[in-house]
Order: sequence, then structure tokens, then C-alpha cells
Amino acid sequence: MPRPEEKIIQLTIDGREVKAPEGQMLVDAAKEGDVEIPYFCYQPKLGDPVGACRMCLVEIEGIPKLQTSCSTPVKDGMVVHTHTERVHTAQNAVVEFLLVNHPLDCPVCDKGGECPLQDITFGWGLGKSRFIEPKRHFVKPLSLSPVIAIDRERCILCYRCVRFSQEIAEDYQLIFAERGAHTFVATHDGHPYVAPFSGNIIDLCPVGALTSKPYRFRARPWDIEGAGGVCTLCPAQCNVEFTVRDEKVMRVTARDPGNEGVDDGWLCDKGRFAYQAMHVDDRITVPLVREGGELREASWERALDAAAGLSKHQGRVGALVGGQATNEEGFLIQRLVREALSSSDLDCRVTGLSGELTRTLAAPALQATVPDVEFAHTVLAFGCEPLDDMPILDLRIRKGVSRHGMKLVVATARPSALDSNATRVIRYDPGEEASVLGGLADSLREAGEDIVIVWGERVGPAAAEALLALADQLGLAGRDGAGLLEIPSGSNGRGLREAGVLPFAGPGYAPVADAGLGATEMPDGENTAYYLFETDPVRDQPNRAAWERALQRAGLVVAHASVLTEGLREHANVIFPADTYAEKDGTVVHPDGRLQRLRTAIAHPHEVRAGWRAVAEIARRCGLDVGVLTSPMAFAQLASAVPFYEGITLESIGGRGVRWQEGEGAGAFPDLGANSDIDRETSQTSGPTDEAPHSGASSNGGGGDGAPANGGLRLGTYRPIWASPEVEISPSLQYTIAHQQAELSPEDAARLGIASGDTIEVSQNGTRLSAAAVVRSGVPEGTVFLATGIAQDSANALTEPTVEISKP
Amino acid sequence: MLLLFDGIDEPGLSTLPVYERRGGYQQLRKALAMTPEDVLADIGDSQLRGRGGAGFRMAQKAGFLPHGEMEKYLVCNADESEPGAFKDRELIQKNPHALIEGIVIASWAAGIDRAFIYIRGEYAYQADILEAAIAEAYEAGYIGERILGSEHSVSLVLHRGAGAYICGEETGLLDSLEGKRGNPRLKPPFPAIEGLYDGPTLINNVETLYTVPYIIGMGGKEYAKLGTDTSTGTKIASISGDIQRPGNYEIEFGIPAREIIYGLGGGPPEGRDIKFWFPGGSSSPVLTKDDLDVPYDYDSLAKAGSMLGTASIIVVDDSHSVLEVMHKLVKFYAHESCGKCVPCREGTNWTLKMVQRIESGEATPMDLDIMANVQTHIIGNCLCVLGDAMAMPVGSMVEKFRQELEAEIEAARARAAAGSAEDVIPIGVADEHAGPVPVH
Repeated sequence: MPRPEEKIIQLTIDGREVKAPEGQMLVDAAKEGDVEIPYFCYQPKLGDPVGACRMCLVEIEGIPKLQTSCSTPVKDGMVVHTHTERVHTAQNAVVEFLLVNHPLDCPVCDKGGECPLQDITFGWGLGKSRFIEPKRHFVKPLSLSPVIAIDRERCILCYRCVRFSQEIAEDYQLIFAERGAHTFVATHDGHPYVAPFSGNIIDLCPVGALTSKPYRFRARPWDIEGAGGVCTLCPAQCNVEFTVRDEKVMRVTARDPGNEGVDDGWLCDKGRFAYQAMHVDDRITVPLVREGGELREASWERALDAAAGLSKHQGRVGALVGGQATNEEGFLIQRLVREALSSSDLDCRVTGLSGELTRTLAAPALQATVPDVEFAHTVLAFGCEPLDDMPILDLRIRKGVSRHGMKLVVATARPSALDSNATRVIRYDPGEEASVLGGLADSLREAGEDIVIVWGERVGPAAAEALLALADQLGLAGRDGAGLLEIPSGSNGRGLREAGVLPFAGPGYAPVADAGLGATEMPDGENTAYYLFETDPVRDQPNRAAWERALQRAGLVVAHASVLTEGLREHANVIFPADTYAEKDGTVVHPDGRLQRLRTAIAHPHEVRAGWRAVAEIARRCGLDVGVLTSPMAFAQLASAVPFYEGITLESIGGRGVRWQEGEGAGAFPDLGANSDIDRETSQTSGPTDEAPHSGASSNGGGGDGAPANGGLRLGTYRPIWASPEVEISPSLQYTIAHQQAELSPEDAARLGIASGDTIEVSQNGTRLSAAAVVRSGVPEGTVFLATGIAQDSANALTEPTVEISKP
Repeated sequence: MLLLFDGIDEPGLSTLPVYERRGGYQQLRKALAMTPEDVLADIGDSQLRGRGGAGFRMAQKAGFLPHGEMEKYLVCNADESEPGAFKDRELIQKNPHALIEGIVIASWAAGIDRAFIYIRGEYAYQADILEAAIAEAYEAGYIGERILGSEHSVSLVLHRGAGAYICGEETGLLDSLEGKRGNPRLKPPFPAIEGLYDGPTLINNVETLYTVPYIIGMGGKEYAKLGTDTSTGTKIASISGDIQRPGNYEIEFGIPAREIIYGLGGGPPEGRDIKFWFPGGSSSPVLTKDDLDVPYDYDSLAKAGSMLGTASIIVVDDSHSVLEVMHKLVKFYAHESCGKCVPCREGTNWTLKMVQRIESGEATPMDLDIMANVQTHIIGNCLCVLGDAMAMPVGSMVEKFRQELEAEIEAARARAAAGSAEDVIPIGVADEHAGPVPVH
């Protein structure tokens, strides 16, 4: 639905004239007049108010009873009083009631010092209680989940956590049990509250009832500092606040209020808890150099000398840049590779889209923003699982459906968490992405013209062509509130491409004379040395075996990493300790084009140095002076090299980021001229436009032709939300560490005699993986889904389209 | 004057043949021959006020429903849970078809084609009778598609509650009917605008809808001549407590309360005197024997500092202590509070603990001040009226029987001091049964 228009009205609060948008809740409008009205249950992020805590009662002229200001929309000419005797009496009364059952043990409570109940009691309470009866008691604290502790005595039953579970995350796990003064927050049958967004209830809790297990009792509010940052563990790039004590990140919280253009104020549990990877022993904090077959700690000087071998090396160097690299790092790396190492074998992607396709899909006119996802008439989620690939987008799509009546169409090979919110679900066989988009245009247009297509980088070139054709048919180019939103496989995938980490283009997608090899071609190429910046291709790239061979063959492998993953442990000759997103200073680009700034929140631990600095050092030893002494200097170089970044400065990026498409330089995006139109015409006619898509219902009977002829199952892959080295070394996320799971349809499971939980063997051409079977309804018959990106038994060891399943 | 109770005890009245023989469903035929606007106007002329407690004019409420094509609902509130109220039980048990007829007429008047009856689970016997009557009415074409060949179609579903007082609160009822935990909703939006499944919903009490056919039968203007100017018509009054002839009686509004309690109910048992009485169910502030000449109607009782509520008179004679009644009352409301809003959840719980402390001899007269003050902190500050429903009668008891309560406090203290343990009622820790549910 299009965004509602705002009408500004005027009202009077405590004698002050306040202007506010009509329909805004009084409690928010009051802030415009510097009037603070206390509240507990109100939280605009959670949707409609519930009016349960009664803390925000105010007097409105013309209405006899006191009104809850959290649920009263402002009207023109309204006269409101928040400081009358009646209001004070009611506020005192509510505070007194709240403390009836709340323990007065603030000195030993983890929330003390940052507790809304404490603040409001001091600000609006009477300062004493007449309650002398026994309070209610519970066993405490209990584990609500592996990461959340619950203290039911402290709970004031404000409804926030339960509403989050039921209305935002829609996992329906948290409930109220019992009734009246015996009510308590619980889960069905006492199951742990394990869900990808569960940690948000810690931020929401206005008392010390829900606390973070990794954080509780580690610090006090008066000896911590907050530092704004950006989480780069996935492309969502949520705006976070690091809680810092003694140069250590103690906690990660969502910023309040959230960034509407990015995260809407929510965080996933990976972003919230995987910060622990910064401070564990498993992290690499000193340079490592291979000596006698063993990686040994070495000085920076030694490591840099060894890395200088890249330029002295006979043969071509191939370079891969991981998604967590900043734009500055990516920019300097492409200078290093192109200028000092004379190579163009450089990539940051996992697929092999052509230069033209990449550019066309990134054109500003075609880009949708994150808020567009919420306000569109229709969203098509194509070839991606937002929950895994960009978790916070999953919540945004749910919000669009539940609050704005948005229509959702899901077109994925694997059943999606969003299926139950969709008006239409389209299933296709893995690898057949391109076939489903033709003929979709009319049904997508039914609800309105504002259509956003969220798609995943992994769909591949043929589907990207079809996608472009569909965008043409729908007339998405240039339409406000509509467009494409790509989920790149790397967190900063978009920024790195714009910085020129591509085999065929330099900064700003400027074509280069001799295109090099991309990530998919590199392992089969001639490269004899590799430069791996914060990526391990053995884990991150689709073809594990080819990369293992390539790294084995290479004479020199130089890497930057913070976690020693398998490919590096086996093959790297030099490893520089990489810095993390709390230590980096630089910029990243959100999938919708928003430049965001990472600022140094904590000092680099031990011998870790800034990534940009390490790259500059290596370049210097390879004979290239990049002329960069600080990260902002690197940004200045980048900004002048990318025409469409014109006018963007670190200051203008600020704390909430800025989309370059809305800047003065957007017009400088490379125009492909008439050629592209011809190409696009071609792709439209040659595209599979007339093929009927498989509908979810019909394909459930076997995707048309059942299992593949050779008796095996078609292989589909996905990268789970928890698949990341950071998660693997975060102590409190150990419960998420997924071993390989094979998702099977109930039909195939019955045929093969497999039940959920069975250990099975997945094999292909002699490669065998061990997996736990998960029988999942909705998986099309004849297909099995396996995870990639995980430490063991990752499906990137399998490259053929079908696999054999057996029960050992 | 018998209207609603006319022939109520005729054997077999709950079955369709007997109801029809007595002229049943003739008013439906009459109403369907009129336009919905005329039917609504007729109900408006009757000035019928809601019989569920709030006394809001039915036609006015129906008039709030938005017009136009949308799913609208009619919900009959048969969750009669107010202590002292048992009028709907008798109406449903003995004459269910009159209620069904009223629902079908009201849905015609308000342009509604889906109706529900939410009946409390404890009324299993009455629900069975009602279910059978609904089946008969469907069979005979009084409910369903194109009723009696008219334009009007309505479906009717009977839903049994699971036993919570709060589900009689109209929005709590709606949540419960939707399959959720029965908690009251924030108002506005009122149900007439956004009710069941977010559609406009007309919610009325059993007796209100039951009265509708009688209004259609005699004409709204004629009906309005009964009773007083602002409380028109007749009302079923339920009389219980210390009374010789407890039961339901149909009365015309405006007769003195004394006539009901003594004339119809026979007064308290021989040799006993009335100490106080609840005029409209356990949630109405109590009145004393000095108030017995108050005319029994909405406005006169409000003027006397109480309310008509569901017209459920509970008489308490001088053999009972105020504290004893107060304890039962507070325990009921603390038990039934849903826990959603703070003043009700904590206020009822706190008041209960104070009452228990008085009984255990650990209170001082100062506690009465706190108790009275806590009640004023509850009243008007809650999400729904459940908190007020405890606070108003408790407040009135402390105010009107302060001396007696102080004497109770002293007596209990003396008992406790004397150490006569068998006389001491233990502190109500037994109510703290909500143990933790361990999370694994």
C-alpha cells in the first residue's frame, strides 16, 4: 500500500502549542513539546497499542475519564494536561501497583541503571509504598532459551515480549500462562524460546525480567559506553549499538529508535550474539606464516615480506574478497591486484553474471528500498530465503503483509518461512529458477503497480535475465516505491562491486580493457597464487573440490582472516589477522544502495591491524604506494573514482547512512546506451516467458515428473542463517551449530524408509556427506535440500544436480 | 405486568411447536414485512436499554454500525457470570426460541447475516436446550437463507465458553470467540466499528435481544409507556441471598425496591433484618435498609450511589459480617482479573491480601484507609470495568460499615493476641499456587 500522507495539526499540551501529524499517538506528539509521558507497554515498533500498563494516563479537555495517551490519536485543537492533580494521582497509583509484585532489589538487578521501571518510579512515583504483604515468588532465574534468562518476579507483564513473538516475529512461542496476579510469561509446555529473532525481547523488556545470558552481570551501565556501528554479518547491515567496556564489546543491541531505512529497530540473534567471536581464543590475532608445513605465529614484518611474494611470483594472482570487507578495503585491494600485481582475476561474488547484466541490474532506476518492501502493493520473494540470507528483511515483509495488506508471492525452490504469509507460493526444481518468472507479470500486477522483487544473487545468470525481462514487463524502472532488491551473497556485496572488486569492471562499474577471471572460473584457471581477503573459498564458494585443488596447486596463498577455517588451515601460506566490524573504520553499501559507516568502537586487539592498512602495506611491498594514511583517505579516493558517489562524504553518510541513488551523482551511473535496450529486448523474447510456472500445489506431487531418472534426488542448496565462522566460535551460540541437515519430502522419506533425525549418507561421484534427515512437508517430492557454508559436510562438495541418499 | 415471563412455565415452551402455538415467530414475520430501518426505529421508540449491565440504548448502539457491504456480526452475550445474576439462564432454559427470534429480528434491523451466541460453559444444560432450539429453527426456516421468503439471511452459531468471568466483558468475549485468550481489548475502537474478526459487531445481552420480539409485537411506542421515562419496559430481577423466596421476577421499572425484596422475595428470614443489599449484582455499590424505598430503575439507583447493573439483588441480613461478604467478593474478582492491566491485576490482588490480613488479626484501622484509597486508585484507571466492579462495592462497604470493620479488626487482633489459633484464618498464601514452570 502506498505510504499514507501526513497532515500536520496543532494541539496544546501543558500549555505548549505542539504541531504533530494527525493520527500520531499523543504520547509521541507530546515529545514534540518536550513533554515526557511515562509508559511501559507502548512501543510503536510493536504495532497497535494495547493500553495495558495504564502508566500514560492523561487528562484531555472534554473527556471525563483519564485517557491512555499511547492509544489516543491527536486531533486538531486537542487540549491535554499531564501535570494535574488527577494525572499525578493516577501515575503515582500505577507505579505503586507495579511495585506491588516487583522486587525492590535494584542494586543486584542486571537492569539497574538502565531500567525504565527504575527511572519512572523515580520520576513519577510517590517514592514510597504502602504495600506490606508478601510478594509473589518464582524460581529464578530460569533459562527461557540458551541465550535469554527470565526472572518472572521482576516481570511487570507489559506484553511487549509476547507481542513481539506473536505479532512481529510471528513465531507464536511466547504466551501468558495463568491469569490475574498469577499471570506469567511462558512458552507452550516449557519449551525453550529458540527463534532467529528471540533476542529482541531483551531490548524490549522494560525491567530486568529478560536478560541476555552472555551479558548479564558482565558490566554495569555506569562503566560501559555505547558506540554506534553497523553489523556486517549479513547483507541486512543492521544499525547496532556496541556496549563497550575496557575495549571489549560486551553486548550488541539494536539502536533505539531503529533505522527505518535499514532494520526498523530489530536485530537477529546472529547479529546480537555473534559479537562474542571478537573476544574468544579461537580468533586469529597475530600474523601466521607457514613454516615446515605448519602455520606459526610471526611478526608483521615477516608476514608482510612473505606476502610481498605475490608480486615476485611467476604467474597470475587470483584475488577473492569476502563480504565483510569495507568499500575502502575492496577499493585498495582492486588497486593492489590491478596496479601492482597486473591481474584482473578479482571477484567478490559466488556467481558468474556478465558485466552487462550486473550493471543493468544495479541501475538506480531499478532499485527498490527496504521501506518499499513494506509499502509495496505486491512483493515477490524470488530465489532467496530472507530469513537465512537477510533475516531482518523477513520481519519487514511480515510487517508489510500484516499491517499494510501487502500481497506476497513466494517463488523459491525450497519451502520458505514466509510461505504462510504469501497469497501465492510457486515451487520449482532447483536450478529451474529462470522458468518461473515468465507469465508472472499479470498476477503480480493484480493488487497494484508498486511491485518489489526481492531476489538472491545465487539465482544465477539465466534467472537474472528473466528477472530483467519481468522488470521490463512490469515497468519497474523509474517507478517510486517499486523495483528490484538484490540480496547479495556477501554482506557488502554491493559496495565491493561498486568499488571495482569485479573481474570485468573497476570502481563505478567502469569496464576494464582486459577482463579477468571471476570467482566461478578462477579455480579452473591458470592462477598460481591467491590473495584471499576475509574469505575462504573452500567454504564460501560453490565448488569446494575445485577450490581445494586450486589452492593445493598454488605456490602462494595470502589471506586475511579472523577465524582459521578449513581451507586456510590447509592451504594458506600467510594469514594476516583481520579486524572485525567493531574495529573497522570505513564504509559499506547496503543492498538498496545506502552507504553506511563503520566506526571504530574498540581498539584493535593484540596485533590486529586495520584491514585497509594491511592492504596498503602489502601494496607498498609490492611496489605500489596507494597514498593512503587513513581510512577516510581511502574513501576520498574511492568517492572520486566512483562517479555516482559524487557529493557523498563521510559527514553526509552520518549515523544513518545515505542512498547514493538519491544523491546528486546518481545520474552518473554508467549508461549503457542503445546497446542495452537491444540486449534486453533479446533477452525478453528469448527468455522463457510463455512457460507456465509450477504452482506450489501441483508441483508438490513431484514437480511434474517426480524423481530424476537415475533414481537419485535433485539437490537444492541453501545457506542457513547460522552458517558463519563467527557463529561457530561464539560460546553462547553453540546451540545453533547445525550439522548438515537433509530436508526431504515426506513422500521420499517414506519411500526410502527415513524418519526425521535419522543419520543418512548423501553421495555423489564418490563424495559422501553425513547428514541428519529432516522430513519437511512442502519440500517437493524428488528433491533434497542441503546446507552450504557450514563447517562440516557442506553441500558445496557436491556439484552435480542429483545425489543418492542411503541409510548406512 | 408479565411480558417476558408470560407463560414462561408452560410445559414444552422450549420446543418449537409449543412456542409457535403461543404465537412464536409471528413477530419475526411482522418484522420481515417491515423495512430494517422501520424495525430499528421501532426498537428506538421503545427506548430499550441494554440489560447486560451498562444500560446503553440498543437502537443507538445498532445505529453506530457502519453501512455498506462488509462482514458484520451480531453476538449475543450469554456469558452470564455476575455473582447474583441468573436471569438469562431461566430465559434460555425455558424459552430459547424467543431469544432466537430476537436475534433474527435484530440482525434484520442492523443488516447482519452472521450471528453468534457465546454461552458460558457452566450453562451446559441451557446450552443443550438452546442448541436443540437452534436446530429446530434452522429446520423450520427461521434461521438460514432467505428466511420466510424474505431478503433476510442469517446464520447462528452457538459457542460455549470455558469458564472465565472476563469473557462476559464484550471485547474479552470477542477475543475468546476468535479463539484467543479472553482478554479485554482497548476501546476505542468500539465493537460496533471494529469487533469480531475486525468487522462491525453488535453485541447485546440475552435479555435485551429476548425483549425485541415483544417490542415488535406491541410496538415500540406502546412498550415505552411501561416503566419510567428513562427506564422503559419491564426487567427480570434476580433476587438471592438472605431472602425467603429467591428467584427471578419480572418487574416494571420504577417500583420501589422494597416491593421487590419484601413483596416478591418475602424479605429476609424470620427474625432477621436487612443489613445491606447489592441492587445490581456483586459489582454494584451496596445500599442499606435506609435505601429500600429507592425506585428500582437505572437513574434512581445511580442517583442513590449505586447502579441497576443486571438487576441482580443480593440481600445480606444481619447474621453476616461485612468482612465475610467482602472477602468472598474480593476473592472472586482477584481470581477473575485477567491480569492485562496493572490497576486491576495488582489492585484486586492487593485488596485480597489486605482483607486476609484483617481476618488474621494483623491489620489496624489504618489499613481501612489504605484499602479505601486503593479502591479509588483502581476506579476509572483500568482497561475494562472488572477492576471497578470490585473497587466500587468494596469502597462502599468501607465507607458505610467502617465502624463494624474497625470492630472486626479489633476482634481479630484480640483473637490473634490470645493465641487461639483455631479461630485465626491463615493468611492466604494458599492462593499463591501459580508455581513456576521450569524451562528446560
